[in-house]
Amino acid sequence: MAAVNTTGPAPYIYACTRMRVRKAALLPREEYMRMLNMELPEITRFIEETRYKAEIDELASSFSGVDLMENALSWNLAKDYQKVLELVPGHLKHFTKAYLLKWDIRNVLTLLRAKIQGASVGKIKEIQIPAGSLNRTVLDRLDAEDSTDRILDGLKGHMLYAVFEREMSAAVESGSFARMENELYKAYYSILLKEAKSGVKGGAAFLKYVRLDIDTKNLETVFRVKGESDGEKIRELMIEGGTFTLDELVRFAGSESLDEMIDAIRKKLNTEAFDSAFEAVKEAKSSQGVEVGLIKAKLTEMDRISKLYPMSVAPVIAYLELKSYEVSNLRALARGKESNLPSESIEACMVV
Amino acid sequence: MALNVKPTRSELIDMKKKIKLSERGYNILKMKRDGLILEFFKVLEDAKKSRGALVEGYDRATKMIAVANTVEGSIRVKGAAMAVKENPQITLKEKNIMGVVVPDIEASSVRKTVTQRGYGVLGSSPVIDDTAEAFEELVEAIIEAAEIETTMKRLLDEIESTKRRVNALEFKVIPELKQARDFIKMRLDEMERDELVRLKKIRAKSQAK
Repeated sequence: MAAVNTTGPAPYIYACTRMRVRKAALLPREEYMRMLNMELPEITRFIEETRYKAEIDELASSFSGVDLMENALSWNLAKDYQKVLELVPGHLKHFTKAYLLKWDIRNVLTLLRAKIQGASVGKIKEIQIPAGSLNRTVLDRLDAEDSTDRILDGLKGHMLYAVFEREMSAAVESGSFARMENELYKAYYSILLKEAKSGVKGGAAFLKYVRLDIDTKNLETVFRVKGESDGEKIRELMIEGGTFTLDELVRFAGSESLDEMIDAIRKKLNTEAFDSAFEAVKEAKSSQGVEVGLIKAKLTEMDRISKLYPMSVAPVIAYLELKSYEVSNLRALARGKESNLPSESIEACMVV
Repeated sequence: MALNVKPTRSELIDMKKKIKLSERGYNILKMKRDGLILEFFKVLEDAKKSRGALVEGYDRATKMIAVANTVEGSIRVKGAAMAVKENPQITLKEKNIMGVVVPDIEASSVRKTVTQRGYGVLGSSPVIDDTAEAFEELVEAIIEAAEIETTMKRLLDEIESTKRRVNALEFKVIPELKQARDFIKMRLDEMERDELVRLKKIRAKSQAK
């Protein structure tokens, strides 16, 4: 067997090429359109014929219908992300690990909310996706805990532990994890910025992605809170480190003229990728429509960055993002079909 | 029907007074009934509109919760719903429509902004905003429909009772009073004739002596 080259640029080229191959294997738009006309069992069968076969087969004896789909999708996503982590070398692994931290936030918040709502351990396990640094074993241990103090103890050593510790008691007391959630995401982005600016080679491409993600999130928040007058509350919802300063974002949110606001954003962003999202805002489409527009713009920009930096973390993150949207789309399809939603409504929820 | 009335002149005067009063009451109640019916039809139009808005709002809210569950999953949707701490405040006042006391409901804090709702903005999808908005609209429609439909129900009850009173006056009380009056009149006339005959006979006897 030929020796595997683990030094020099070869592992990076190999990992980035593998990412591009994986990206090309994701479901195309036409497949989603076909699935929109199918019933739930047909969709399950269709999915079984794709890369989700192993998970569907594995879980078919325990679940059925939409539960089978959801669990198989979550398992596949988690496994896929873990495989990507194993695959990427050196600094790429470092950045990818930081990027995947958002799954930890999601899983822990889901766990805390489910505990407050009295959900069973089995149900909590079903809805968690162990795609971050907290793997299935750790999550199972946390799920089994009865008190939030014990859950907090279980998180000791995690990169976001300080935020969990700071916000937990107030959140449990009030029964609302809103502030904690906002603080966790702000801390997450500050960690990403710190990693990107740490001087590690390849940080420039990662920084571009982080800034893009922050801009997209901030713009989404601006459009969600537009017209509100409480500048202080709006400021609390914005994430620092993007293209726009916090003052600019607060001003945009409070702006009375939508056209002026969009023009100002467009000038500073200096890209046409977000134009369709801005059109959706101008046409006063639903918030969901605006969100989908922003996500599509982000993905277009990510694709551009991944082409600009082909041997960096950009193609890895581009694939991870696209994969997570593929899973969300399939989940939306399954849940939408189960709720008897019309195809147009399901399509509006999907990023295709 | 046997009439239990005293055939006296004072009773006749009393009966006539009662008839006059009943007829006046009958006319007033008839006017009230007609007025209430007119008012009812006005409220009915509003009720149709509010019921339409309620059904539309319910359909939208049901669809939006299905979409939110589709996008976010039920645990996250429940989490967002439980984050809301400030409940809508309902103030119940009363107003008067032609003597009928109907509710006047004022509600505050039904519609909230994204920051007032209390759920995490950075970790949630905007579909939660749309769903919350749809349910706020539904609550508003419910409050409006509650006010209008309660008004309509109370007006209907009042129309029904007024109608019963009008019918009772028209077909029972007034005819019976008139019958009693006629009876007294007849008895008084009869008594007068008796008296006259009696007097004539007395006079004839005294002249014969």
